[in-house]
Amino acid sequence: MPSADRSPSQPAHDAVVWVHGDCLSPRGPALRWAPGAPAIWVWDDALVEEWRLSLKRLVFIYESLVELPVTIRRGDVAAEVAAFAAEHGATRVLTAGSPSPRFRSIVEEVERAVPVEVLPVEPFLAYGGHLDLSRFAKYWRVAQRHAYGQASLFD
Amino acid sequence: MTRSHATPPADTIPSADAGSPAPLPDRDLRREFADREDLIAYVAALFPAAAARDRHVAPTRGGRAAAEATLAAVDPAAYALTRNTVTGRVTRLGPYLRYGVLSLAEVRDHAINAVRRRGDTSKLVQELAWRDYFARVYARIGDGIWDDREPLKTGHDARSYAAELPDDVRAGTTGLPCMDAFVRDLRETGYLHNHARLWLAAYLVHWRRVRWQAGAAWFLEHLLCGDPASNNLSWQWVASTFGHKPYVFNRENLEQYTEGAYCRTCPLYGRCDFEGTYDELSRRLFRLEPADATRRGREAPERRDRGRRDDRRPR
Repeated sequence: MPSADRSPSQPAHDAVVWVHGDCLSPRGPALRWAPGAPAIWVWDDALVEEWRLSLKRLVFIYESLVELPVTIRRGDVAAEVAAFAAEHGATRVLTAGSPSPRFRSIVEEVERAVPVEVLPVEPFLAYGGHLDLSRFAKYWRVAQRHAYGQASLFD
Repeated sequence: MTRSHATPPADTIPSADAGSPAPLPDRDLRREFADREDLIAYVAALFPAAAARDRHVAPTRGGRAAAEATLAAVDPAAYALTRNTVTGRVTRLGPYLRYGVLSLAEVRDHAINAVRRRGDTSKLVQELAWRDYFARVYARIGDGIWDDREPLKTGHDARSYAAELPDDVRAGTTGLPCMDAFVRDLRETGYLHNHARLWLAAYLVHWRRVRWQAGAAWFLEHLLCGDPASNNLSWQWVASTFGHKPYVFNRENLEQYTEGAYCRTCPLYGRCDFEGTYDELSRRLFRLEPADATRRGREAPERRDRGRRDDRRPR
């Protein structure tokens, strides 16, 4: 997987966008970098059943999707994303970053067919240094100096 | 990474109209609906197993427009003062944050612009930071969020906790009016106030001796904002596998932060499972070594209202 800490490698005319459940915003990095590019959402049937997602959660997601310029399909996510890229003659897939391990495994699988560029969502902390994650208090001792964006309380 | 490097011009933000797909092949699912009922019926038909389990649909609407309306109503100062009470001015942004309809940074920036005194945002920013923190832990440990991060601090063998959610809890028929009401809200609306989540989680793990994983999976079925990182790591905090002590509450705490909504008319008032001081409840629920008991005893005054610990909890 390419580094998530950068913008796309080139203009997006040869790309499709994969929209997933950790970034359903029209302002998400992939949709913003590739306006007008074909975009796809794939319902992950296996995940819906494995996690027994309730109808109310599924409706909430669907309502979010219809406000986005995406083609909506279902099935095996990686296979569908790769097939969508092939349909559009795309040479790469753009998508927003996610901490989910399932996301990482899907990206790896798509990459067997077509390269994937993972674009970072705007970070909450304006800080790229070390953070102790063993307890929130330790994280916050450092993070609070960087949590107010451009307008730090502590500057 | 730098923000300016990664942000394209604002006029490139697409809308649903801008990229409308051409005529759809059969495998494409519908995007146009007459109204919400039409959409709900379609989603229920797409996912018949989910619809068969539970047909409730939340009043909370998905989508960026609804997210922005919810964000516009956020009052950071009122949030800081009232959020621990179930009728408090909580943000209701959870579902939009969970699916990235809004980013943490967007909400933070909005909050800073919405207040006159920047200090009024500090509680809200800290709660947003909890989500950032949990996401970072998730990025590091992945599916490890389903495993105990640390040993339990309850004195009980981890194997003594039941693996499955009890039927009466799932059905909301425990006979405890508060807990049954929380279960009903969870199933019917996909939302529970953060304090109610903590009470229900503590009841399940400590009073019913059920593994936190069973409760975490159950919440993820129903909560619109159910994100594995925040959800599971908060359950672990309650259980004491991601924190120094188990989280418990008593009737007094629940009564205070629900403004008596359940206790006032409760037939079990004065004799329910949650009666007692925190020390009494700890002795009843946990099997602690004498050294632990002594330490806890010394700490008792400041632990009297364990609800205070909720000041550190995300919502």
